[in-house]
Amino acid sequence: MTDAIVIRGVTKTFGPKVAVRDLDLVIPQGAMCGFIGPNGAGKTTTIRMVMSILFPDKGEISVLGRASALESKDRIGYLPEERGVYRKMKVGAFLRFIGRLKGVDSAVLSKRIDEWLGRVQLGDTIRKKCEELSKGMQQKVQFLASIIHEPELIILDEPFSGLDPMNRRLLRELIDEQHSAGRTVIFSTHAMFEAEQLCNQIFMINQGVKVLDSSMEEIRARFDPRALIVEPLNANGAAQVDLERLSGIRGVRSVTPSRDGAEVRLDEQADPGAIMAEIVQRLPVRRLELKRVTLDDVFIDLVEAAGGEVPSRADLGSKEADGA
Amino acid sequence: MHKTLWVAWREFTTTVWTKGFIIGVLMTPLFILIVIGAMVLVKMQGGPRVAGRVAIIDRSGLVADRIRERFTPEAIEAEQEQNAQRAAKLTGEAMQRTGVGTTNPAGAEMAQSMAAAASAAKPADLTLEVLAPDADVAKEKGEVARAEIKARGEAAIGEKPRLVLAVIPESVVKPDDKGEFTKFDLYVTQRLDFEIKDRIERRIADAIIDARVAADARAAAGGLDAKALRALMRRPGSASVTATAEGDKKSAGEAGFLVPMGFMILLMVSVFTSGQMLLTTTIEEKGSRVMEVLLSAVSPLQLMVGKILGGMGVGLLILMVYSGLGVASLIFFAYQHLLNPVSLIYLVVFFFIAYFLVAAMFAAIGSAVTELREAQTLMTPVMLVLMIPWLLWMPIQRAPNSLFSTILSFVPGTNPFVMVIRLAGSEPVPSWQIPVAIGVGLASAVFAAWAAAKIFRIGVLMYGKPPNLKTLIRWVRLA
Repeated sequence: MTDAIVIRGVTKTFGPKVAVRDLDLVIPQGAMCGFIGPNGAGKTTTIRMVMSILFPDKGEISVLGRASALESKDRIGYLPEERGVYRKMKVGAFLRFIGRLKGVDSAVLSKRIDEWLGRVQLGDTIRKKCEELSKGMQQKVQFLASIIHEPELIILDEPFSGLDPMNRRLLRELIDEQHSAGRTVIFSTHAMFEAEQLCNQIFMINQGVKVLDSSMEEIRARFDPRALIVEPLNANGAAQVDLERLSGIRGVRSVTPSRDGAEVRLDEQADPGAIMAEIVQRLPVRRLELKRVTLDDVFIDLVEAAGGEVPSRADLGSKEADGA
Repeated sequence: MHKTLWVAWREFTTTVWTKGFIIGVLMTPLFILIVIGAMVLVKMQGGPRVAGRVAIIDRSGLVADRIRERFTPEAIEAEQEQNAQRAAKLTGEAMQRTGVGTTNPAGAEMAQSMAAAASAAKPADLTLEVLAPDADVAKEKGEVARAEIKARGEAAIGEKPRLVLAVIPESVVKPDDKGEFTKFDLYVTQRLDFEIKDRIERRIADAIIDARVAADARAAAGGLDAKALRALMRRPGSASVTATAEGDKKSAGEAGFLVPMGFMILLMVSVFTSGQMLLTTTIEEKGSRVMEVLLSAVSPLQLMVGKILGGMGVGLLILMVYSGLGVASLIFFAYQHLLNPVSLIYLVVFFFIAYFLVAAMFAAIGSAVTELREAQTLMTPVMLVLMIPWLLWMPIQRAPNSLFSTILSFVPGTNPFVMVIRLAGSEPVPSWQIPVAIGVGLASAVFAAWAAAKIFRIGVLMYGKPPNLKTLIRWVRLA
């Protein structure tokens, strides 16, 4: 099986600014790949180079086994970050136009457009002008435009931005479905939750340099914080004293109080199971769990380690929410 | 290739199937046709049909009988025939001047029937009423003031209102002490049609001239009557002929002047309307960020070529609608000989040249900016060059083979427009100049398309500060 995308030693500069530096990346066919990185990291530039909209200054990119995406445009679905629709065009006509440009047969197209609009609850908009649709609805239409020709490779630049939770879930299902059908999906996102849920491979770039490229399990193993989250049943003064007593347990390195309880960090060799049993004996708890690393944490750790301009945690949260 | 055609098809249909285009571009000629048709219809129907009396107070005692003569049915019939003849003669002269009458029997026939139609209507049923020479003007005038105009046939003879009262003093016929003729008074009821008033006035005035000649001792001594004098006084017409090296030609007159200008306007309207639309849609695609979606399906070159082809369809449609209208009206008014079919072919050839030149420039500008407002600064130099033939069509038309016109024929940008003016004119263009001008035009269009493709490729994804002309030139030289 050939790889869907192979990027080797690609560098792209805009004037004095280096957008992407010496990037290597291999995405196997059938992968579901999350592409993360802070704003201005070079995600969109990379994607545009993969799409042959921009051309690298140095290095090679092969897409679906061809030397450039130009030779396989009809087999690629692309939802750009800067997305738009013809405002005066009707929804059905817009999808039909894009479909025809992608080489889909007219008769097939009519049926597919009806089906897909129904799937995303836009069945009644086929004769409406695109400008009459809300932004979220337009985005669903744009997503359909990127998959209407049933491409082998789907590249989505920030697909979740600007959608409400309902539509995020719908889109997540649709993307998952495309992946299950054997298609390769790559999406860039700030929405770490979606990436965690969907992806089997994550790569991250920061300041044009790749800083992470592995599976979700590997990430979890590598960034295991080795900590427990403890919330006592009654969060009163006495409970706080009890919590402090937890530091006496063998294998516990430190106890950091948090809003509703504490985070208990463990020694490298400690057995989390034994310690959890010990905690339950000492203290009635409402919640006791092994802390799992989130992409959020990984993201911030990596960016901070690189000394880049890090969006603060709160900032990141809002980015996730409005998807900018 | 089929992708390019799809882009072209979308460009064409989304431009043409809009209310703005249908109303603005297609409905306007239709509206003009309807108005012309309505005017012809109204003309055919003749003036208002009015019945009434014309009263005369003849203080001189010399005119009344002569007026009466002119109101007899025979005289009225003669007058109408004369009008018809005059109308036919005027149209015929105009045609002879342009050469239709002799070469085109259909045109001559049509002119005659039009003239006949214009005079065949009998607008008024007028009865003459001669009052006593010493009648009281103030009293008689009252009836004119009270008159109610009724349509002919509605009113019984006795009920005919008095429409006009003419008071003819003796000094109108015989000169006063200073040897001058005075005027006569004409009291007219309100809302009387001016054509009818004119006709009555003319009959009375003609009768007065007859009376003057009859009363003039010199005329009597020379044996001249009014008819003989009129014949002597009629201004002779001329048959205008243009002398050329190949022999005499009929002069085209003013109409011949209009055709080259019409050709240039046609070319400008079709090229600029479609070019402008291309600019607008390119900016829209860029502004609404649909560009990147398109570029994931087609290459920038395919997109640009498709858009230019779609715009060409729009331009050709406009050209055909308007030139069709122009040709139809020339044929309707029997001026088709002014139109050289070869010049129509040249019009289409130079349309392609002008369109590709303008469209390439507009597409490049549209791709480089994000808003229409930003395009204005880049458009100005382009428009200045293209407007030269518009501003200077008069000297070009007057002297189509002057050094000035010849030079402008080979300047890229002005070349198609100037050539169209020159080729549609009456003076033949030296034959070597036509292929050379077409060659220059094609070369400039190809160069513009090549440069535009380079600008387009870079421009479509550039956002932010709009580039200036220098930046665009740098883009052209970049890749």
